[in-house]
Amino acid sequence: MVNYYYDGTFDGLLTSVYESYYGIEPPDKILRCKNLQQSILDKDIDIVTDSEKASKVYEAIHKKISYDALRNVYHAYLSELDEIDTYIYQYLRFGFKKGKSVDLYLTSEEVLKVHSAAKKVRTESHLMLGLLRFRKLNGGLYYAPYSPVYNITALISDHFVRRLSDQFWIIHDTKRNLAAVYNMVECVLTDLPEELQHQSLNTDDCFEDLWKKYFDSICIKDRINPKLQKRNMPARYWKYLVEKQ
Amino acid sequence: MELQKKLEILSAAAKYDVSCSSSGSNRKNTKGGLGNATSCGICHSWADDGRCISLLKILFSNYCVYDCAYCVNRSSNDVPRAAFTPQEVADLTINFYRRNYIEGLFLSSAVTKNANHTMELLYESIRLLREEYKFNGYIHVKAIPGADLALIEATGKLVDRMSVNIELPSEKGLKLLAPQKEKQAILKPMNFISSKIAEKKDEIKVFKKAPLFVPGGQSTQLIVGATKDHDMNILKLSENLYKKYNLKRVYYSAYVPVSKNPLLPDLKTPPLLREHRLYQADWLLRFYGFSADELLDERNPDFDPQLDPKANWAVNNISLFPVEVNRADYEMLLRVPGIGVRSAKKIIMARKVKSLCFEDLKKLGVVLKRARFFITCKGKYFFNYNMEQLLIRQNLINGWETDEKKQEWEQISILSLIPEKPTLQDKLMSITGEI
Ligand code: SF4
Repeated sequence: MVNYYYDGTFDGLLTSVYESYYGIEPPDKILRCKNLQQSILDKDIDIVTDSEKASKVYEAIHKKISYDALRNVYHAYLSELDEIDTYIYQYLRFGFKKGKSVDLYLTSEEVLKVHSAAKKVRTESHLMLGLLRFRKLNGGLYYAPYSPVYNITALISDHFVRRLSDQFWIIHDTKRNLAAVYNMVECVLTDLPEELQHQSLNTDDCFEDLWKKYFDSICIKDRINPKLQKRNMPARYWKYLVEKQ
Repeated sequence: MELQKKLEILSAAAKYDVSCSSSGSNRKNTKGGLGNATSCGICHSWADDGRCISLLKILFSNYCVYDCAYCVNRSSNDVPRAAFTPQEVADLTINFYRRNYIEGLFLSSAVTKNANHTMELLYESIRLLREEYKFNGYIHVKAIPGADLALIEATGKLVDRMSVNIELPSEKGLKLLAPQKEKQAILKPMNFISSKIAEKKDEIKVFKKAPLFVPGGQSTQLIVGATKDHDMNILKLSENLYKKYNLKRVYYSAYVPVSKNPLLPDLKTPPLLREHRLYQADWLLRFYGFSADELLDERNPDFDPQLDPKANWAVNNISLFPVEVNRADYEMLLRVPGIGVRSAKKIIMARKVKSLCFEDLKKLGVVLKRARFFITCKGKYFFNYNMEQLLIRQNLINGWETDEKKQEWEQISILSLIPEKPTLQDKLMSITGEI
């Protein structure tokens, strides 16, 4: 078995695809981090991320397959699911053969896996556009901590740049410690400095109380249905929901 | 009165209005402004009853001069009363919006003093939001029947959606339960709004920058189970509303017993299953090319509680089946029980490159539990014997209900799950109106 290891960046993944065509040996698997129980028969190759090679692959996907394929690949990559990098690789190989019709092969495993991973990411992104909660800190900054299953911060921040364009805000993925910081001019993706990570969130924001009140009184008590509520709004997201505190 | 108390009273009073959708408009943010609307709509939370919360849904006031029997706010009812000021409405909306609690505002009101006075207050709240606060989020407002059309027009220029609630599906019901209201007073503003919307659509074709008028369309709500009307009357009414008034949505609200009035039925619980069937049928009208006449007739004027409207139709029209999955056109695929918009689209795509067998359908995620009775793949049946109409019916009822561990239909409000267009949120589809 030939395993490629790359640094976990999207560029790194695309570089791996590049090397599979022009490098020494095509891989059986592409992985983000060294897996510990590898067999002695495995051959490991470390991929050095090269943004030039990556952008060649990027262009090639766009031109030779389709823009949709590019989107699918990027979204699937953000899912960080097990084995997904290998499926992405197979999907692209298949795609370079079939061109833009690749997405019609809905019964092929690699197409199925990439589509389903991408869909999971898009579904969560859409859900988060609604479930993200900004806390107004005493300095006037709006701070939104959350902990998504997939790495979606880059995907959702654009929406808030358009929407909340006249306020300072930070969207913070506490699981990955990744933040989108917006200063009313531009939005950047960055790690958050240590001291900000543990800021206490004791705000005495009266609108949080008003929101909780509203949340309670809008419910029709004859129709209480916790199952339906959980199906729509899985409990794993409740931690950061003001109304569920 | 404290703001908190007012919010409590006036949101509780608004909660029976089921519309919550924030879709259909894509108003852009302006420079230095706050907010925008996304055409697919976004849910921000789900209340303990499982319904989606997308908008701040409040009454401006619940002081009412009318006395409609089915309504909590009727003047003869002894409930706490309150009224906001336009400033308070704007403050709540802006501050909730900045924290991403809501997509915008849904403002309605009881009739305080008279229709015009009430409409003026609604207009002023919205003007404040749009003009002073530069708020570009979603606004849905209720047009008060009987208010000046000029006032309704001015309001329509500022909002994304407008609605007039019909509430009672027949004139007879109206006479009985809301004798102070007249059918004409309700239909007049609806008619006016729909003609204005049409007018603006033409204008926009000519002048790109023509001002907006209710870009998210018009909707209404019907109460189910407060009168003796059959499902057929209700569905026909909806069909007409979609055709004649170009409505975006008709909402159905299972009547929640709020009064002991002898004119009203004595219900223990709201008729949720009936509401659910109507939503399913409504969905069939809007997205599946069905007409009301196909689904119900004089002999069967009400939906079968045991079988969803599409399966019911298919069983009654069994001579049209089976359909061959590899050849049937999109419209026919949509008519197969168990195949929804998403599955039909996938089948159409996948069969372009490969002739499909039952295994392939499973891979596509098509649920065969019901569909298998109605389709063939490459000429083959799923079963190797011919099924009788009655047998299929039994299988659909028993098989389906037990397999899915009896989904407690009585408790499910499907409304909150139904997106405006059958696109996003794919995974929710299997339990929504898509059947
Ligand atoms: S006019 Fe509206 S608020 Fe007033 S009682 Fe009738 S339905 Fe209720």
